[in-house]
Order: sequence, then C-alpha cells, then structure tokens
Amino acid sequence: MTSVPVETTAYKRPARFAFLLDTTMIPVWIGVAVLVAFTLAGAFLPLPHNPTAPDVNIPLAGPMGDHWFGTDLSGFDVFSRVIRAASRDIPLALIGTLASLAAGVPLGLLASGKGKLGERIMRVTDIFQAFPLLVLSVVLVSLAGRSNQWNVVWAIMITNVPRFMRLVRSEGLALREARFVEAAHAIGATRGRIAFRHILPNVAGVILVQVSLSAAYALVVIAALAFIGIGAPPPEPSWGAMIKSGFSELANGKWWVSIFPGLAIFFCVAWLNVIADALEAKIEKV
Amino acid sequence: MQLTLDIPGRKALKGRVDAIAQSGPGGRLIVFLLKRVTFIPVSLFVIATIAFGILFLLPGDPAVSIVGDTGTPEDIARIHAELGLDDGFWTRYGNYLWAILHGDLGTSFFSQQKVMTEVGRYLPNTLELILFAIVIAFVIGVALGSFAAYFRRRLPDNIARVAITAMQSTPDFFLAGVFIYVIFYLAGAAPAPAGRMRIDSLDQAGFLLIGNFFHGRWYDFWDALQHMFLPGVSLGIVYASYFAKTARASMSRALHSHQIEFARACGLREPLVLRYAFSTARTPILTYGAILFGVLVGGEAVVETIFTWQGVGQWALEGSLKLDVPVMQGFILTAGAITLGIYLLLDVMVGMLDPRISLD
Repeated sequence: MTSVPVETTAYKRPARFAFLLDTTMIPVWIGVAVLVAFTLAGAFLPLPHNPTAPDVNIPLAGPMGDHWFGTDLSGFDVFSRVIRAASRDIPLALIGTLASLAAGVPLGLLASGKGKLGERIMRVTDIFQAFPLLVLSVVLVSLAGRSNQWNVVWAIMITNVPRFMRLVRSEGLALREARFVEAAHAIGATRGRIAFRHILPNVAGVILVQVSLSAAYALVVIAALAFIGIGAPPPEPSWGAMIKSGFSELANGKWWVSIFPGLAIFFCVAWLNVIADALEAKIEKV
Repeated sequence: MQLTLDIPGRKALKGRVDAIAQSGPGGRLIVFLLKRVTFIPVSLFVIATIAFGILFLLPGDPAVSIVGDTGTPEDIARIHAELGLDDGFWTRYGNYLWAILHGDLGTSFFSQQKVMTEVGRYLPNTLELILFAIVIAFVIGVALGSFAAYFRRRLPDNIARVAITAMQSTPDFFLAGVFIYVIFYLAGAAPAPAGRMRIDSLDQAGFLLIGNFFHGRWYDFWDALQHMFLPGVSLGIVYASYFAKTARASMSRALHSHQIEFARACGLREPLVLRYAFSTARTPILTYGAILFGVLVGGEAVVETIFTWQGVGQWALEGSLKLDVPVMQGFILTAGAITLGIYLLLDVMVGMLDPRISLD
C-alpha cells in the first residue's frame, strides 16, 4: 500500500466574537449607539433651559424660537425636559431588565431540570399569569414605597421575570435532550455545571433578544406608571408624567406638551424592537 | 394536579368517569371540561390567598386616607374597628374566605358600595371595550401578518414589518392621545373623549353596544359605537402588532409546509391555498388572542381612565392608588376568574379546531 499524503493544516479556532462585526449586526450597533447617546445627552448635554425651573410668564407657549418644543402648563421648557428625562427613564428600564434577567434566568434553568420541581415552579408562574399586571405593579410599588422612584423596578420585574423563566425553560427543555448534554452527564458533570456551562451559553442568543424586548416593555411600563402618577417626584422630568401633564390640553389643540415626550418613548422603544428583530434574524440564520 | 388522597368511593367514581370518557369524542370533551372546571375553584382559592397576602402586607393605613386631613385619632380608631383592621391575620383571612364563599367581596373603603355591585356595574363596559379592541386587533393583525408571511423576505414583507414594529412601539395611552388630537380636535370625527355615550343620553348601564343593538335602538347604538371608536382603535392598533407577529410566524410556517406544497401541486387556486394555510396556522393565533384578552383585563386601565370609561380597569386603578383593599381584592379575583374562563374556552376551542391535540 502506498501512503496517501495527508494534507495537514493547523486547526484554526474560529474567532469567537467575529459575529459582532457582521453586517447583520449593524442595526444592533446603531440602536445601542443611539440609546447610549440619548442617555448621555440627558445627563450631560447643556440644555437651553433649566428642566426643573419653570418660566411662569409663558405657560403653554407653542414651539418657537426660544422654546423649541414649546412650554407646558406651568411654563417648563418641554425640549429640555424631554432630553433630561432620557437620563432617568432609559437607565431605569435597563436596571429593571437586568434585575429581571438576574432573577428569571437562574429560575428558568432550575425549572428546566427533569422532575417535579420544574413543573411546580411553572405552575406558580402560570397562576401569576391570571393576575392583572398593571394593578399588581401599582400594589408592588406601593408595598416597596411610592416615595422611592427606584421601586418601579419591582413593577418591571413582575412583568418580565416570568417571561425570562418561560423562555429559558422552553429552550432548556429542548437542549436537555441534546447529545452534548448527554456527554457532559456521562463524564460526570454536576447538574449545576450542565445548566450553567452547557445549557446557558446555548440559550444566550434568545436571552439577548428577550433582554431588548424586555427593556422596550420596561420603558412602556415606566411611562404608564408615571402617567398615573407613580415614579419620579413631580419637578423631575419623566416621559410618562410629561404626557400626562399635557393630556387634558390635547382636546384643546395644544399638542406639543404630550406629543414630544410620547415620540421620545416611541423612538427608544422602536430602536429596542429593531435591535431585538436584528438579533433574532441573526439567531435564525445560524 | 394529581389527587392521591384515598377517598372512599373514589375508584367507583373513577370507573364511571372512564366510562363517560370512552363513550366517544363528545364524552372525552365532557370529562376534560369536568377536570378543568373543578380546577378553577382551586386556582381562584390560590389567587384569593395571594391577593389577600400581598394586600395584607401593604403599608399605609386606609383609615388615614378615609378620614382625610381633618380626622382625629378617635375617628381613625373608630374606622379601624368598623373595618376590622385590628384583628389578626388569621381572623381576617378566615373572614375574607368565608365572605367570598357567600358571594360577598366586601365593601369599598371609599364609595361604601358593595364590591360585587361595583363589579357588576363596571364590568360590562370593560368587556365591550376589550371585545371591540380584540376584534380590531385580530382583523388588522392577522391581515398584516398573513400579508407579510405571503411575501416573506420581499419588499411587502419589509414594509409590513416596519409597520408592525411601529405599532408595537407605541404605548396605547400615547396613541389614544394622538387620536384625541388628530381625530377629535383636528378632524372633529369623533365625540369628546369622555364616557361611553353623549352626556344627555338616558342613564343607561350595562352592555350599551350589544344591548342597544339587540333592542334596535339604533341612535343609541350608533352613539355608543362612536364613543367606542377612539379607545377601541387605539388599543386595537397597539395589540394588533402581537397578532401580526404571531400570524406572520405561523402563516409562513404553514405556507412552507408539505400540505401547502401539495395543494399547490394539485393546482388549487391561491385563495383556497391560503385558506388551508390559515386552518393550520389558526391555533397559535387563537392562543395568542386568549392571552391578549387576559392581558387586556386590567391592561387597558390607563386607556379607560383617559376616556373616563367607567370600567373595572379604571375602577381598580383608582382603587389601588387610594389603597382601597377590598376593591383591589375584588378586581384581582374578577380578573383571575375571567382569565381562567378564557383559557378554558381556549382549550375547548383548540381541541375542537385541531384534531391533533388530544384532550387528556
């Protein structure tokens, strides 16, 4: 027998984070950049007017040279307040989402195990599905204390933790049957190790999609709660509270007080949804 | 839920149930329904207990907000005694459950009305709004989603997806505000955003839309429909995005299935092919509809408040801001019962529409 020359090339490990620079990731990066820029602008940009000091001489002035977005009933400058509110509402939504992630993912992994425990955990979350979430949010924020605006995080968690759990569990249950989990089990990996080292990295993609969807939802929850008067204390700007402050004037044709903060929410939520869509398309492809 | 208690006669009962189940497909449905219906009180008990527990922990004294700033400590003590707020946890929990079993959800701290009466007054308004919104959401969403699925990965799909993302990104109360400005103020095409009917209308209550329709009072029906338009459409458009997403996913799966390929190979016309595709895609859409219905009970509270709709959502939201405990408990129980009922209905409908799903 003649020996066949074997072509040997050194095995090259594929670059781990190369996908981050993929063209399909462009919308994701633009979205992240826009949201970060908006937040930083709210925190550091020199504003044309003091967002918490009203100019009482010109209440309800329409958009014009000096006040780009007009002024509201008390004479606050709408533009300055819309920008400043970004530095409060966006980080709050992010903190709420990360808190939901930190609670929901381990619980979901725990529930994706074989046996009765998983079933029981999911029964409990099923019952929560029958609860009216908005009223429950109001109750929870009241439990934690309405005076502290950061307690809105609890309201975000009550809506988002079950979603993370359900997602991680359904993905995890499918992965349980995979060959690599069997292999890990065969070499004696503990359950915790299988969950965190083998299952978790494989659900990371869907979790990331859910993070941006949850952040979008959190922004809406924050706005809805601020709209009914729960959240930032009055002189501090918050988009939901700003919509509320101009709402009664909408029927009289004074649109700018409510519409501009509403558009700001729409803008941020839409970018978060675009990020989620792009990430989802990315996962589908692989 | 497994019953493992050794109840005398349990075997005999089980035998009889099995006999009904084996008597045909209708029998299976009856047994399935029985099992689910018996589970509902258990779920409601759990919901009531959690609601009681959470609200028991609530800080803040309702007596203080009832008497207001002018109240003396004696007033507060008197109200405490009246409402039984000084009793211990178990006494109050026991009284609460006992009252629920007798159909008594308590009395509102503020309006002094029976919670049951208030639910009866406000619930029809909410149910009509939700039904109207769900129908609009379903029509817009399923049409848009199927359209996107049919032209998947082509230009119409991309346009539809932009529309879906835009709809999904709008808070419903903000859209309501935009509509109030554009449709009420600018176009003058809708009545003032206050209440269910014109102010000088007869003092009607209950299912205004359905009631006036069946009584043939067309003028009142038209009035109620006009008032329904703004809140219903703002909710409908926002929630249509969820229907659209589900419809797009399940329709594109259905359109790429073997049976649709076969239907096309047989030379069936496209409308018929679409109808077949829809019949495989409808189960997830229906499921989503039921979930949305549950979400909307209470989820439309802010929109109700905007339009002074006098529905259970507005009632519960105002109650929870004032820490009106019986109102909150009553609402949580009502919403829970409606959600459980809807899910039961869903399971029955899915079981009848999709023969692949067995009712066990």
